[in-house]
Amino acid sequence: MAEPRMRNITYAQAVRTAIREEMKADETVILFGEDVGQYGGVYGATTGLQREFGSERVRDTPISEMAIGGMAVGAALAGFRPIAEIMYCDFLAQASDAIVNNAAKWRYMSGGQVCLPLVVRSPAGGGAGYAAQHSQNLEAWFAHIPGLKVVMPGLPRDARGLLKSAIRDDNPVLFLEHKAHYTYKGEVPAEEEVIPLGVADIKREGKDVTLVAWSKTLTFCLEAVELLAEEGIDVELVDPRTLQPLDIETICASVGKTGHLVVAHEAVTFGGLGAEIVAQVVEHLWGSLRKPPLRLGAPFVPVPYSEPLERFVIPQVQDIVAGVKAHVG
Amino acid sequence: MDKDPQLLLHFYEDMLRIRFVEETIRDVMLPQRLFRGSSHLSIGQEAVAVGAIHALQPDDYVISTHRGHGHALAKGMDPFVMFSEIMGRTTGCSRGKGGSMHLSETSIRFMGENPVVGANAPMAAGIALASKLRGDGCVVADFFGEGALNTGAFNETVNLAVLWELPVLFLCENNLYAISVPLEKSSAVMELENRACSYGLTGRRMSGMHVMQVYEEVSAAAEETRRTGRPAYLVFDTYRFEGHHTADKQTYRTDAETLAEFRERDPIHILEVEMIDDHTVDLDTTIEYRERIRAEVDEAFDRAVLAPWPQPQDALTDVYSEGGAH
Repeated sequence: MAEPRMRNITYAQAVRTAIREEMKADETVILFGEDVGQYGGVYGATTGLQREFGSERVRDTPISEMAIGGMAVGAALAGFRPIAEIMYCDFLAQASDAIVNNAAKWRYMSGGQVCLPLVVRSPAGGGAGYAAQHSQNLEAWFAHIPGLKVVMPGLPRDARGLLKSAIRDDNPVLFLEHKAHYTYKGEVPAEEEVIPLGVADIKREGKDVTLVAWSKTLTFCLEAVELLAEEGIDVELVDPRTLQPLDIETICASVGKTGHLVVAHEAVTFGGLGAEIVAQVVEHLWGSLRKPPLRLGAPFVPVPYSEPLERFVIPQVQDIVAGVKAHVG
Repeated sequence: MDKDPQLLLHFYEDMLRIRFVEETIRDVMLPQRLFRGSSHLSIGQEAVAVGAIHALQPDDYVISTHRGHGHALAKGMDPFVMFSEIMGRTTGCSRGKGGSMHLSETSIRFMGENPVVGANAPMAAGIALASKLRGDGCVVADFFGEGALNTGAFNETVNLAVLWELPVLFLCENNLYAISVPLEKSSAVMELENRACSYGLTGRRMSGMHVMQVYEEVSAAAEETRRTGRPAYLVFDTYRFEGHHTADKQTYRTDAETLAEFRERDPIHILEVEMIDDHTVDLDTTIEYRERIRAEVDEAFDRAVLAPWPQPQDALTDVYSEGGAH
């Protein structure tokens, strides 16, 4: 099979490409949020979409996160496929009644009468110096809610393919982009590619240790595994890509092979998705684990402002290298 | 008053149905513990539900609150389906997954009760946005209590609905209490209709006890909203004769006379007196109506109480739709 023709584009361009392709294909796909129109989004992810699709389908909202979230639920109930942008995932706290109490539950509470095909896109993560209220990783909050799907792509190719699936999905999907990652470049097929939700991807095969990571931490891990390879440690890097539903089978298959599990993420370690992944792996593979699994996450503090403080809190490439070495050593 | 006797009788029938369904909940189901949690009765508020919903077209949407039995019945839900849901049976609108405060029947565009106060407003706006983009000419009736006026979601939504010219009818049922807190302790202004000014809307306020007046006002508002695209903002003064819910001890109702006075304003009684005075009906006809609707409601209840329970493992279905690309 011929290799697909690739383009080298940024994460922001990948997001924009997915929205653009889906808006062209389906006129019920609409986009609204703060500054997403004329301004193109504070991170440029929606640049040009209002010009292309008009101000009826691409709408700037007031600073009204409760209304943005609730309108997405209503529009989905009435047969549209809204994409709502919440400018920072920290502000999902304000929109979360709509997402958690309404979007996630309306189908269930109605006994399956309705489906809610909506996407809430929101930039998560730190590393950009925005401090405690604009840098959190809140995937664990939402992955905990039955009725929601949670996607957290690390690479541009995955961002594009997964966002297309999220828009086409008949369920509410929280699509968490990484704000310090919008300029990160990667290869994306020139032709259409749709990547299913709930399917992990093995970014690098290896035999010594399974390293699970997503979002921007995944790209730190891509660097870390090369450094570890130079030291003779052969890492298998698994990107779940979707945290709800979680492809635990692929993770378990990998750990079954390596006998070692390290999970790395930006969110605080306590109660993070790493805890869930470790728990499920231990339940499935207790007898074949060669070491207690290791979680590499943030200490239990808010994200600080000053660069040395923030770098200390968020796992960096060298932290991942050191953690994996200590784990297998 | 418009003297269309058929319309008045239609209102009368629907108001009686709501009253008898809720009296059955209070007088039969509560003592026999036939439902779980609690149930929020709208006895005394029937004229708002019936007058407003009759003013809509069948394709128009209704979204409601925890106190939504009246809205659901007026929109066309079968009492058997409602009783079944409240008793948690498979024949309920949500097959027992929702209960009294999560009733919905989207096929008749009863989009659901939302018991999170204020949270249904942005949903109404989203439905209205869909209608506007589709150009289908529908309006969305958003019912809420006066308690919702103080929520953030409501205020964000009205501003946005005006800004975007969304066809929403904001219909405030002012029943004077947010659970135990009276209006004068929850709103900085008593002129609730004036709150609309801050969004550039003209609020209208009227009695919620006269069904024909509600009907005429909502008809005019819906027509104007359809024509202009601007939302409407109506406040109906009504009264909840019962507690906040069926477990409410109502210790906050200090003045028994207040209740007595409002009972004089029972919207069903008012309509009966008006119809008899107008010679639309005679007393015997009202008795016939009462007996017929009572029998219909009793029959629905008798069937529902025998309806099957869901299987325990049915709890695991309806979380996600299998539709769409995966």
